Amino acid sequence: MLRDDTNRYLPLTESTYYMMLTLIEPLHGYAVMKKVEEISKGTVKVGPGTLYGAFTLLEKEGLIVKVKEEDRRKSYVLTPKGKNLLMNQIKRLEIMTQKGLSVIDAL
Amino acid sequence: MAEDTIRKIKWFWAWQDEQEEAWLRSMSQKGWHLSSVGLPCIYRFRAGEPRDYVYRLDYQTFSRKSKQEYQQLFRDVGWEYIGEMSAWQYFRKEVKEGEPPEIFTDVESKIAKYKRILPFLWFFWIILIAVIPARGISIDNPYPWWGVIQATQVFTLLIWLFFTYVIIKLTLRIRQLRRL
Repeated sequence: MLRDDTNRYLPLTESTYYMMLTLIEPLHGYAVMKKVEEISKGTVKVGPGTLYGAFTLLEKEGLIVKVKEEDRRKSYVLTPKGKNLLMNQIKRLEIMTQKGLSVIDAL
Repeated sequence: MAEDTIRKIKWFWAWQDEQEEAWLRSMSQKGWHLSSVGLPCIYRFRAGEPRDYVYRLDYQTFSRKSKQEYQQLFRDVGWEYIGEMSAWQYFRKEVKEGEPPEIFTDVESKIAKYKRILPFLWFFWIILIAVIPARGISIDNPYPWWGVIQATQVFTLLIWLFFTYVIIKLTLRIRQLRRL
């Protein structure tokens, strides 16, 4: 595991979080958009403007990397730094969810 | 120019992209579909059956190769690319039942779009502020070209004020979005 210098990116936006989750395997933009909608159970949709902007930044910060290109479609996958960031985000979300669930009956 | 095309020149400020989108949509609803855009602020429309197209604007600069990838991404989800006007990218899609389609699906990415414009504005703003005092604005009349030099100085100052105005308005627009 890398030294932790990814905390400055936290918290991720909901869209970025889901997009990064899908990039555990190499995917191109269109597939990411479809998959985000699916894994978020329809709660999050990512438009192409949002996706392109996010991918440009993530690539510039070395959190994702291009692995393949065919028919003008590039595939990306998480880098070790990206995985590390995602791990930290998941831990934060876990704390949030646990706390939330512990009070849910009182709501 | 043929009967079935018209050309319009219309000015929109950078923070008025939603008004611009709404105007283009209303043109399409009247049967005038945007066919190309170009400087300065030129919109060409082609006549056709009235259709409910929504238009969406992005702001991006890139290499030719990235541009192909970018356009492909939009095409994959049904957006038609129309053209580019000083880094503004124009897309359209027909409204089917339900909500009008969006290319930006969260506030953060809308803010990021405006933030991509700001560095260019600051660049010119700083250059202009360096140029103005270098030549100076004086009221005495030491050389024959005084009038011309003063006129260009005033002109430069006006352009600088223009950039200042755009930077302030765009920053306010970003703040407004952030409150949402």
